[in-house]
Amino acid sequence: MFEIGLSNYLSVAAILFTLGILGIFLNRKNVIIILMSVELMLLAININLVAFSSFLNDLTGQIFALLVLTVAAAEAAIGLAILVVFFRNKGTIAVKDINLMKG
Amino acid sequence: MIIKHLAIIQVILPLMAAPVCIVIRHHVGVKIWAVLISWLSFLISIALLVQVSDQGLIVYQLGGWAAPWGIEYRIDILSAFVLLIVSGIGAVVMPYSWTSVEKEIVHERAYLFYCMILLCMTGLLGIVITGDAFNLFVFMEISSLASYVLISFGQDRQALVAAYRYLIIGTIGATFYMIGVGFLYASTGTLNIFDLSQLVPALSASRTVKAALAFFTVGLGIKLALFPMHMWLPNAYTFAPSAVSVFLAATATKVAVYALFRIVFTIFGGTEILEILPIRGLLIGMAAMAMIYGSIQAIYQINVKRILAYSSIAQIGYMVLGLSFDNATGIAAGIIHLFNHALMKGSLFMVLGAVMYRVDSVQLNDMAGLGKYMPLTMAAFFIAGLSLIGMPLTVGFVSKWYLIQAALEKGWWPIAMLIVISSLLAVVYIWRVIEVVYFMPANPEAREVREAPISLLLPTWILLGAVIYFGIDATTGLNIAIAAADALLAGGGS
Repeated sequence: MFEIGLSNYLSVAAILFTLGILGIFLNRKNVIIILMSVELMLLAININLVAFSSFLNDLTGQIFALLVLTVAAAEAAIGLAILVVFFRNKGTIAVKDINLMKG
Repeated sequence: MIIKHLAIIQVILPLMAAPVCIVIRHHVGVKIWAVLISWLSFLISIALLVQVSDQGLIVYQLGGWAAPWGIEYRIDILSAFVLLIVSGIGAVVMPYSWTSVEKEIVHERAYLFYCMILLCMTGLLGIVITGDAFNLFVFMEISSLASYVLISFGQDRQALVAAYRYLIIGTIGATFYMIGVGFLYASTGTLNIFDLSQLVPALSASRTVKAALAFFTVGLGIKLALFPMHMWLPNAYTFAPSAVSVFLAATATKVAVYALFRIVFTIFGGTEILEILPIRGLLIGMAAMAMIYGSIQAIYQINVKRILAYSSIAQIGYMVLGLSFDNATGIAAGIIHLFNHALMKGSLFMVLGAVMYRVDSVQLNDMAGLGKYMPLTMAAFFIAGLSLIGMPLTVGFVSKWYLIQAALEKGWWPIAMLIVISSLLAVVYIWRVIEVVYFMPANPEAREVREAPISLLLPTWILLGAVIYFGIDATTGLNIAIAAADALLAGGGS
C-alpha cells in the first residue's frame, strides 16, 4: 500500500541535513555537538548520493559516498585534534567565543 | 613525452612531495625540498600557460580513460592563468617562510608546516585544473583540510578557535556544494563539467537543476567568504602564522572565486537559468554590501592583520561584482583583479610578517614610528597600500578602472559610485596605518628595531615589483584576462 521511492529517501536526507544545521546554529556551548552536527550533514549527503545512485542504476554515486565518508573522517580527525590541543592548553573545551554568527 | 603529461604533473608533484617532507624531517632539508618543489611547479604552470596560449585548450585524460567515465583535466586560458597565480605565490611564499616560520612555529614542527602547505597547494591547483565537478569537491576538501591545520599552527591560542570555526563553516560550505553535485548527478547522470555544459541547457526548466545552482552558489560563497558568509575569514587570517596568511589571502579565496566562475559560466552559462533565477542580482547585491561593509569594518580595527582581512572581504566583493556583470569587460575586470589582488594582498601580508618577525606584534600601536627603523619594509607597505586604494601605475588601478568602465558600459552608475566610495574608504584605513607608522613617535622599545632580514624583504619586494610592473605594463595581464572572459562568456565548450 505504501511504496518507498526516491522521494522518501530524499526526505530523510533533508530532515537529517536540517537537523544538522539546527544543531550547529542553535547550540552555543558544546563544541563536540557542533562537530557531530557537521558529520550528520555529511551523512545526509551520503543518503542523497546513494539514493540517486540506486535510482539511476549507476554505481558511481556510491563511490562518491565512500569518498565523502573519507572526507568526513579526515575532517573529524582534524576537528578533534584541534580540541585536544585546546584542552591541553586550557584544561577545558568550553569555548565561549565559538559563536559562528559573530565576525 | 613529459610535455604531454604536464597537466597531471602539476597536481601530483606537490601531492607526492608532501609526505616526503615527513620522511626528510630535518628542518634544513625540508626547507630546500619545499622551495625546490614550489619552483618546479611554478615552471610547470608557466609551461602550461605557454602551451595553452599557443595551441588552445589542453584536455588530459587520467589513465587514458575516456571522459565521462574517467576524470578529465581541462586547461583553458583561464585555468592556466589561475594556476600561474597559485604556483607563483607558492614559489614566493616558500622561501619567505624559511625565516618567518622559524620565528613563529615551534622548531620541531616546522616540517609539518611544509607538508601541509604543499598539500594545500595541491588542492588549490587541483581545483583549478580539474574538469570534473566531484573531483573539484575532493580537491576543495584537500586544500581546506590543509588550511585548517595551517591556521591552527598560529602562536596565539585564539588560532585554535579560529581554525575550529573555519573547519565547521568550511565543511558546511563543502556540504552545500556536494548537495549541488548530487542534484546535477541525479538529473544528468554525469559530473564531467564539459558534459554537464552540454546536458544542462536542455534541463533548464527542471527545478532540480535550479536548486543545484542555488546550492553551488551558497557553498562556494562560504568558501570564498562572500559578504554574509564571511564570518570565518577575519579570525582565520589574523591568528594564522604570517606565512600562512600570505598564502591563504593570496590564493585560497581566489581559487574559490575561480570555481564560482567555472560553475556559473561553464555549466550554467548556456542556460536560461541565469535569467530566471535572480542569481546575478543577488551576487551584485552581496558584492556591493561586501565592498562597503568590509571597508568600514577595516577602518575600526586595531590589529593591522585584521584590517587587511576585512579589506580582503571588500576586495572579494570587487571580484564577484566583476563576475556578475553580464559583459566581457566586467568579467575581465574580475579575472584581472584575481591576479592583482593576489599580488598586493600577498605583499601586504608579507610586510606584516616582517613586522611580526622584528616587533612580535602587529597591533597598530606597536607599529608606531616603525617607518624610521624599518624603512624598506614600510615603503613596501606604502606602495602596496596605494595599490589597494587604486593609485595609477599600480595594479590596483588597472582592475578598478576596468570595473568602473564595465559598470558604466551597463549604465549602472550607482555601482560605479559604490566602487569609488569603497576606494575612498580604503584610503581611510590604509592612511590610518601609514599615519601611525610614519608620523607617530616610536615606542621606546621600538627604537631597537632593525630592518627586516633580507630573506623576508626579498620575496616582499619581488611581489611588489610585480605590483608595479603589471601596473605599468597592464596589457600583458589584461590580454589574458580578456581572452579568458571571452571564452567564459562563450559558455559551454570553452
